[in-house]
Amino acid sequence: MVRLLITAIILVSFSKGGDIYHQNCVNCHKIYGPSLKKLFFDYLLVYSSERRVKKALFEYMKNPDPKKSLMPKEYIRQNGVKKPSKLSDEALKKAIDSYWNRYKVIGKIK
Amino acid sequence: MPSERKSLLYFLSMYIFLVIIILLLVSALYYNFRKDLMFTQIRPKLAENAKDVIYRIKEMHQSLGADLHYPRFSGFKSAIYDADRVKIFSLLEEEDIRFDKVIYKTGDKIRFIKEPDAYYLGTKYLIIEVLDDERWLRETVRDILTFGGLFLIFTAFLGFFLAKLFIKPMRESFLLLDNFIKDTTHELNTPISAILANIETIDKNEINEKLAKKIHRIEIAARTISNIYQDMSYLLLNKKTVSNIERFDLKELLLQRISYFKILAQSKRVDFVLNIYEEVYIKADRKKMAKLIDNLISNAIKYNKIGGKIYITLKPRLMIIKDTGIGIPKDKINEIFKRYKRFNESEGGFGLGLNIVYMIAKEFGITIEIDSKPDKGTEVRLKW
Ligand code: HEC
Repeated sequence: MVRLLITAIILVSFSKGGDIYHQNCVNCHKIYGPSLKKLFFDYLLVYSSERRVKKALFEYMKNPDPKKSLMPKEYIRQNGVKKPSKLSDEALKKAIDSYWNRYKVIGKIK
Repeated sequence: MPSERKSLLYFLSMYIFLVIIILLLVSALYYNFRKDLMFTQIRPKLAENAKDVIYRIKEMHQSLGADLHYPRFSGFKSAIYDADRVKIFSLLEEEDIRFDKVIYKTGDKIRFIKEPDAYYLGTKYLIIEVLDDERWLRETVRDILTFGGLFLIFTAFLGFFLAKLFIKPMRESFLLLDNFIKDTTHELNTPISAILANIETIDKNEINEKLAKKIHRIEIAARTISNIYQDMSYLLLNKKTVSNIERFDLKELLLQRISYFKILAQSKRVDFVLNIYEEVYIKADRKKMAKLIDNLISNAIKYNKIGGKIYITLKPRLMIIKDTGIGIPKDKINEIFKRYKRFNESEGGFGLGLNIVYMIAKEFGITIEIDSKPDKGTEVRLKW
């Protein structure tokens, strides 16, 4: 009964983008990954616009390619790239949207 | 000399057209030159401004979103756009940016677009906007006006001399022709008068019938020449004759002129059919009206069929002369009042007649209407 409840909660929360982002990206990055904030600004620096940043992120998560990685070469040599995301396309897109909304600068500049 | 004026007008309009084209072209070139000059002069300053802004947004970027205070400078405004030309932040009032340009002018503002070496905060395009004091523009307009004005004066003089050069040969040939006609006309007068006077003195009863017929024909021919002579001298001296306007009964004059043409009409077996009202008055010069009627009747005879008819109607404010002749093709009706124009090339004459009719009618405010059907005949209506 309790287990059922937990899975239900997890299922419900998974349907919300913000929570996928927190449960998936943030949780892992807190332990194993580099700072998501720093990575966001690196992506912005290279890909510029919302459309292009999101596209690059999506492609990297689906298929991490050392040639496309923006991490320092030294880091990749030592640790390798991460594994492809297990999230569905839809969920991944939602997570990336939350990631973008969390750190975007448009609308925040004063 | 209408054709002379026509070709002069043609020449002048061509000339003015060309001068204006050249003026516009040179002005446009000069304007663009001055604009580019202004751009190259102001560009280093704008590049300096861009550098300041980029330095600041680089700092903002490196703060990772902690410090997002956009730089504001007093001398210029700026905006940043991403690679998809979406606005990131802007201080500009109008936001239609021409991303394909490096520097351009919009309204009274100059915009300079700089692409930073990396996309700080996502910035692909940095737009720097300054107000243009437009001193260069005022100078340019002043230059165009003064030099354009000088150029216009110069070309006006040139055009004047060119036009003179252009019409000189034409004027000469016109003068030659006019003088020739004048001289010939004067030379014609005496012999024709002599022939007509002599014919009149011949007593028709003294000679045999055959000879009388021949003399009759000579008289017709001489009268025809005399008509042409009168037309020509009318046209040549027209400007000098002053009209003697009076109110008179047109019926009298008309009958008199018809009887004058009887002999000529008989030679073609043409009959007159008259429908003439009493007391139809007109205010005009009697001699000129006679000339007008002469020309219309002589045409009606000349272009009539053998054995045809001429219907002449006179009512208050209306005179109709209608023949049963060859008619005038529709497309030529408008042309027939021109000098030297004959609507049928096979007939003799100088084509002066209708031109005279037109000139006289115009002088006395008479309107002319012509109805003509080929092979049916021509109807000329005069209204006043
Ligand atoms: C299983 C742990 C894990 C999860 C889940 C995870 N990441 Fe990562 N991520 C990593 C590690 C480890 C790296 C560094 C290795 C690399 O760059 O491939 C990384 C790298 C990245 C990078 C840098 C990529 C580059 O250019 O090298 C980005 C951006 C990123 N993660 C975003 C995300 C987002 C967004 C999500 C959620 C959809 C996510 N991560 C989920 C572990 C994870």
